[in-house]
Amino acid sequence: MITFFNASCTFGKDAGIKNINLSINEGEFVFITGSSGAGKSTLLRLIYMDLFPEKGKVVIRNFDSSKVRPSEIPFLRRKVGMIFQDFRLLDDRNVYQNVALSLYVSHYKTKEIKTRVYNVLNQVGLGHRIYYRPGELSGGEQQRVAIARALVKEPVVLLADEPTGNLDPRVSSDLMSLLTKINQKGTAVIVATHNYSLIPRVSNARLIQVHEGEIVNPV
Amino acid sequence: MIVFWFLIKEGFRGLIRSNYAGAFSIIIIALSLVLIGFGYVGARDTLVLVENIRSQFDITVFVQRDASLNDLENFARELGDIKDIEQIVYISTDSAATKFRLEFGEDIFNILDYNPLPPSFTLSLKPPSRNLASVERVAARIRRSAIVDEVKYRKNFLRLLEKYQRLIFFSVITAFALLTLISIILASNSIKMTIFSRREVISTMKLVGATNNFVRAPFLIEGTLEGIIGAFLAAVVIGLSFHFVNNYLQDLIEYRAIVSYRFYGGLILLGSLMGLVGSLRAIRKFLV
Repeated sequence: MITFFNASCTFGKDAGIKNINLSINEGEFVFITGSSGAGKSTLLRLIYMDLFPEKGKVVIRNFDSSKVRPSEIPFLRRKVGMIFQDFRLLDDRNVYQNVALSLYVSHYKTKEIKTRVYNVLNQVGLGHRIYYRPGELSGGEQQRVAIARALVKEPVVLLADEPTGNLDPRVSSDLMSLLTKINQKGTAVIVATHNYSLIPRVSNARLIQVHEGEIVNPV
Repeated sequence: MIVFWFLIKEGFRGLIRSNYAGAFSIIIIALSLVLIGFGYVGARDTLVLVENIRSQFDITVFVQRDASLNDLENFARELGDIKDIEQIVYISTDSAATKFRLEFGEDIFNILDYNPLPPSFTLSLKPPSRNLASVERVAARIRRSAIVDEVKYRKNFLRLLEKYQRLIFFSVITAFALLTLISIILASNSIKMTIFSRREVISTMKLVGATNNFVRAPFLIEGTLEGIIGAFLAAVVIGLSFHFVNNYLQDLIEYRAIVSYRFYGGLILLGSLMGLVGSLRAIRKFLV
């Protein structure tokens, strides 16, 4: 589903990734680990085409980074869910509106939007917080809103960039359980983290270690 | 349709949240439109005044004193064939003497023992021909007639009139273009500030798969709304000013400023265009 063909993408002297060959299948759970600046976020940004490789290419389903047109990128992002350490929620909108945004941009009908948003919010355990604004929620709840926003469009892959970075260990553990459940339903999950303690919580996960922009363990 | 209402709602939401930057855009557009509006009405009325003066312009054709009635009739027919001429008035020697008495208060026969005033034709031209080029062409054609003694018209006056008319016209066009451009740039810069303060919304929308058009639309709606509000304010200021001039300054100046609803419609249209173009220009920098 996702393939890196000898992809390089560097910034400055050492940051970025170099000559990465990697393949991730549908429904897989993958951890990308490494220290800060190792290239984990770069790998994720290449997947949702926020960055493009200088050398080689990245192919996500039928979207090829070497051929894709800028106008096609939104259609890729409708297939890829993303969650971030800082949640990236819109503070002036309530939980419902934050989650529904993903569907409005894809031109869904109101009835369909309502059904999907209520379902996904119940799935992440936030059915009772629909009209709360992000500022009125805890960090864990905000991250779950972000997950709901990513999931509501039924992505083929969920990318999580340091998803537990701002959460305490108990909430991090709950979050990993939620990501595992999502994965069990068939969505591929890719988690970039430097928090190694998360790894044992997912039994069937594949581990990819990145160091100075290169994959150091056998993939 | 759902997306349409969503974008409209987003546009209104943006307008409400834009605070000072939005208010600044509205004020800039309103001020520019007030200047443009006053400039337009002032220039329009000046040009009407010039046109009025121009309509009083005439050509006097003096013919030979000894011209026979037949010659005069033939000449009048010749004049009638000239398409530029709107009206022909024949002034006989007797009518000329009467005119002299009315204008100068003295009988020509008391000054001289005879009437030296020749018969003449006073010609007024059709509106499109009331310009120096047409007047000279008509005069040249008339001069060719054997019966004509002299053709007189106020050439320098006409030249001056045309010069100032052109000056007013180009000044208004230049001022209009400059004001429109300046207000678009200023409005666009303040919209840019608004967009900059909402770059997170833009980035989130793009992350969840919004196309550039989807991201752009609420900002364009917001800019257009700002333009319409600015134009509405300008219309109120202009309307009240004209009401004041027409109702309270009539003892001081003999001028009535009259504008139609179309003028106000034009202001609203121009305002919305300023807002739209300003926001288009502003959002361009944020969408790559």
